[in-house]
Amino acid sequence: MKKKTEYIVTVVLMAVLIFGFFAFAVLKPADDFSESERRPLDKFPKLSFSTVLKGDFMDGFESYTLDQFPLRDAFRSVKAMARYYLFGLSDNNDLYFADGHVAKLDFPVDEKSLEYAVQRFNELYSAYMEGKANKVVFSMVPDKGFYLGEKNGYPVMDYEFMANYFKENLSFAEHADITGLLSVDDYYKADTHWQQQNITEVSEKLLSLLGAKSFEDLEEVLATENFHGVYYGQSALPLPAEKILYLTNAKLEAMTVYNYETGKTTGIYDFEKLESKDPYEFYLSGAASLLEVINPAGESGKHLIIFRDSFGSSVAPLLMNDYEKITLIDTRYIAPALIGEYVDFEGADVLMLYSSLILNDAYIFKK
Amino acid sequence: MLFSSIPFLYYFLPLVLICYFAAPKKLKNAVLFVFSLIFYAWGEPLYVFLMAASISLAWGFGLLMERAKAQKTKKIFMIISVVISFAFLCYFKYADFFISNFNAATGLSIPLLRVALPVGISFYTFQIASYTIDVYRGTAAAKRNIIDFGTYVVLFPQLIAGPIVRYKDIAQQLESRTHSLEKTAYGIQRFCIGLGKKVLFANTLGELGTVFRESGEQTVLFYWMYAVSFALQIYFDFSGYSDMAIGLGRIFGFTFLENFDFPFISKSVTEFWRRWHMSLGSWFRDYVYIPLGGNRVSKPRWFLNIFVVWFLTGFWHGADWQFIVWGVFYGTLLVIEKLWLLKKLEKLPSVIGHLYVIFVTLIGFTVFNSVNIGGAIADLKGMFGLSGLPFVNEETVYYLKSYALVLIAGAVLSTPVIKNLLRKMNETPLGAKIISFAKPVGFAAVLIIVTGYLVDGSFNPFLYFRF
Repeated sequence: MKKKTEYIVTVVLMAVLIFGFFAFAVLKPADDFSESERRPLDKFPKLSFSTVLKGDFMDGFESYTLDQFPLRDAFRSVKAMARYYLFGLSDNNDLYFADGHVAKLDFPVDEKSLEYAVQRFNELYSAYMEGKANKVVFSMVPDKGFYLGEKNGYPVMDYEFMANYFKENLSFAEHADITGLLSVDDYYKADTHWQQQNITEVSEKLLSLLGAKSFEDLEEVLATENFHGVYYGQSALPLPAEKILYLTNAKLEAMTVYNYETGKTTGIYDFEKLESKDPYEFYLSGAASLLEVINPAGESGKHLIIFRDSFGSSVAPLLMNDYEKITLIDTRYIAPALIGEYVDFEGADVLMLYSSLILNDAYIFKK
Repeated sequence: MLFSSIPFLYYFLPLVLICYFAAPKKLKNAVLFVFSLIFYAWGEPLYVFLMAASISLAWGFGLLMERAKAQKTKKIFMIISVVISFAFLCYFKYADFFISNFNAATGLSIPLLRVALPVGISFYTFQIASYTIDVYRGTAAAKRNIIDFGTYVVLFPQLIAGPIVRYKDIAQQLESRTHSLEKTAYGIQRFCIGLGKKVLFANTLGELGTVFRESGEQTVLFYWMYAVSFALQIYFDFSGYSDMAIGLGRIFGFTFLENFDFPFISKSVTEFWRRWHMSLGSWFRDYVYIPLGGNRVSKPRWFLNIFVVWFLTGFWHGADWQFIVWGVFYGTLLVIEKLWLLKKLEKLPSVIGHLYVIFVTLIGFTVFNSVNIGGAIADLKGMFGLSGLPFVNEETVYYLKSYALVLIAGAVLSTPVIKNLLRKMNETPLGAKIISFAKPVGFAAVLIIVTGYLVDGSFNPFLYFRF
């Protein structure tokens, strides 16, 4: 190629990119929501003398241009691929890709967070469970990094230390070690959560400690084949969609779920949520401060109270066979002082089930 | 506004290019002036008035100097103009430093001013001073057209981070300059090189620095990784920005002087400072060192001159003691080199000189990047295993492995190895053909990848903004 041709190609290529994307960005209608990142996108900021003078317009415009840039998801994938494959970096946005799974880098153990969690749990025990609850079981759900990290050269939290810490400091509870009952394939590939159809052994172990029986006639049903987990958008990798399966039977289908916050009553599985920004909310309609499940076929007066995070949503239905009433409490959204107004702990079995990711960042628990 | 941002690349740049090339020749400077003010006001809406005041005063005193007949009157105008420019700089950048040190020394508690530092004030103050002094010395004529003069001060490619353009170097270009396909293509290529250096290397290395600072499990090896990554980060950050400035300047018909020349290949500190931030070094040489007498004085006075220049160089970088220590550290090394070390180094294998420069550079930049003097001492203790830290742990190994390629590629690209390789390749017909095809595609790929980084990431600091 002659020098002049090289110059022309350089100038034309750059002009196409810069002016092309300028025109594309100006003409493209603004999107409201990013499906992949599960968040609303910034809109064109308010333009006024005051917003310009304060610099608010400029800040808003920068966020707007980032959020509304044409082919945003494709560009984010370009960045992720460049980081992994061009620069050999092991993670992107603190997520790594190994054995077909995306997992979050979460280390080291934040001892202050564990201390904070232990304080909150002990307060809950003193306030509500001591002398009232029938049984209390505590279990920590390992993050998928527990199974993926070490063998792929990624640093992981010291799970043994965490488990021992809770064992030593939550002496009121029986501790269920479920790490041996899971493998990385029991989790979604591009989501933080476990898959309900793969955790029946976990539910059996928890029920055995609670002294209750598990379902024996569960049927596996496909809910959707188009599930993109939370890590799909965050990692920006072109990962395939996954299936959400669920386990059900006549008893589960007859149960009702009352949400104290919204006042709505639904079923165990919420099919409307399959179309929402987070289809994992299909299980028990997702995050909620206080839910009450009524099992018409349960043993009269038998009550299970579950303190939980989002992992509890999918395992809870598997624990409901024996119980007439199941209460699910998420202390990230309800202050412990309010719980007594709604929940009676007398004679109840209590399960405290939390993901290691949450326990290592427990400051979100309300005081 | 940052060059490495979506608003600049895909909104500001196309608009300024359209307006600039559509404008008739006599309006081109006006277009640049207006867009440069918008560029500056984007990040500093109120300080644009300070900028306008600085421009007007320097322009006015320039004219007064030219009209003054007596040398003494000229000198008075020059001094007033320079003092006003530096008074702005002192007020915004150094007032709190002086107040806090005065408070510490006297036990008083005079409240700090806590005024925000106008972006680029250190750079444009030096440019204005160079204009004033050049007009006083008669090496440049005063600019009659305030738009042309304003364009020189506020020209957006080099406004906020240099290179520090000397008035006499571009006075002619402000009046008349040419544009060509070759210049535009070169400017684009140079801009893309700078963009890649900044976003793909400096920002990535900066992330490693952040990880290090936030880590609760630092080790001796992690300290050294941090020192290496910061040295590379600041090089790619600043030289990348200079490349972008030079490239943009070329697109608009200006030729700015080079600011970096592979400083990490130096074999002495003396050589390092001839290759690092060359425009600042030459500014201090011409406007401070030589007026003080340079090296044409007694030895003690010569060394004092060196210390004055390096004290000021450190202080220019930041109003804090670690910057002064950093400057004086280099001043001391330069004096030692002039006394005997340089001659010794010349006799030793060149690898010794390289290792010496790399070592002192890592130490110097570690001090430079610390939060304060206490932080600098803590960092140096960490590096030399005096903080009781383990040598290595799992986290350090992880980040060493993760960033290995970036660190190695960064180290290679901070030397002229690739440049020389391409030059040799270009000497063969086949090699020249391949390069000719690969260059435009490569630069387009850089822009696309950089866009991906900018769209996805929020980590995009620019180190020299704080200066």
